[in-house]
Amino acid sequence: MAVHDISVKSLISRIKQVFPDAPENYILNLVNDSLVEMGMYNTKVVHAKISTVADQMYYDISDGAEDSSGNKLEVNKIIRTYLMDSDGDYIQIPRLIDKDLLLGDASSESAVEVPDGE
Amino acid sequence: MASNIKYPEDNALYFTEGSRLGLITKVDSDGDAITSTRKKWKAVSEAITDGLLIHYYSEPNGVVSINSSLDIDNTLQRAVVDYVKKCLYMDRAGAATDPNVVQSATLLSATHKKNFDDTIRKYGAKKRDKTGGTRVIKVPNLI
Repeated sequence: MAVHDISVKSLISRIKQVFPDAPENYILNLVNDSLVEMGMYNTKVVHAKISTVADQMYYDISDGAEDSSGNKLEVNKIIRTYLMDSDGDYIQIPRLIDKDLLLGDASSESAVEVPDGE
Repeated sequence: MASNIKYPEDNALYFTEGSRLGLITKVDSDGDAITSTRKKWKAVSEAITDGLLIHYYSEPNGVVSINSSLDIDNTLQRAVVDYVKKCLYMDRAGAATDPNVVQSATLLSATHKKNFDDTIRKYGAKKRDKTGGTRVIKVPNLI
């Protein structure tokens, strides 16, 4: 038996059984709201590659950020990070918990968010 | 292009701060250790194409029309129906003037909210889990 998927069309028809007057656009908006809510849990795990920039410490992972192929990242929570080694292999690197290090790097400050003046 | 960092697991760290991922290392662009005690950790000093690989939870794709499909596992799709009904029942409760309608709509909204929370939060891990079979623990070589 084929996998049973609920399409948006059948979802709307289920809703219309109880709410026949609910506008379709409104239902679509609510569906998108629920997908945003569900995205906070591990409903979709994605792997992406980002190119490093010389002397840049911070990399954008906001909603509009892109990977090295120009695809939108849409990061909600990073699970693991790997860095390419000298053989071209990806090696997992640890996450820094205590950020109070003497980082001493000011060259990438342009990548830091600044007040937008509004 | 490979990097000059031979042992990233020892010489590189990452952290997140808001919507930014910070990447620091204690080796220079030649792969040699930075020896100063201050300013030991710095940004990676070389441009590495596809140098960073991240695994992360992402947002499911949104729907744009009734012909779209839901970008989530089918075990979780019923929760979307619950979420929409929860909101619509709450709307009905807000718009109704009859107290009986308000009460029943509020109750039904709470029921669908509970269904949604149970599916995603309470039992979500079970529904999403795709692991099985025998397990093995691989101990790292500490020598």
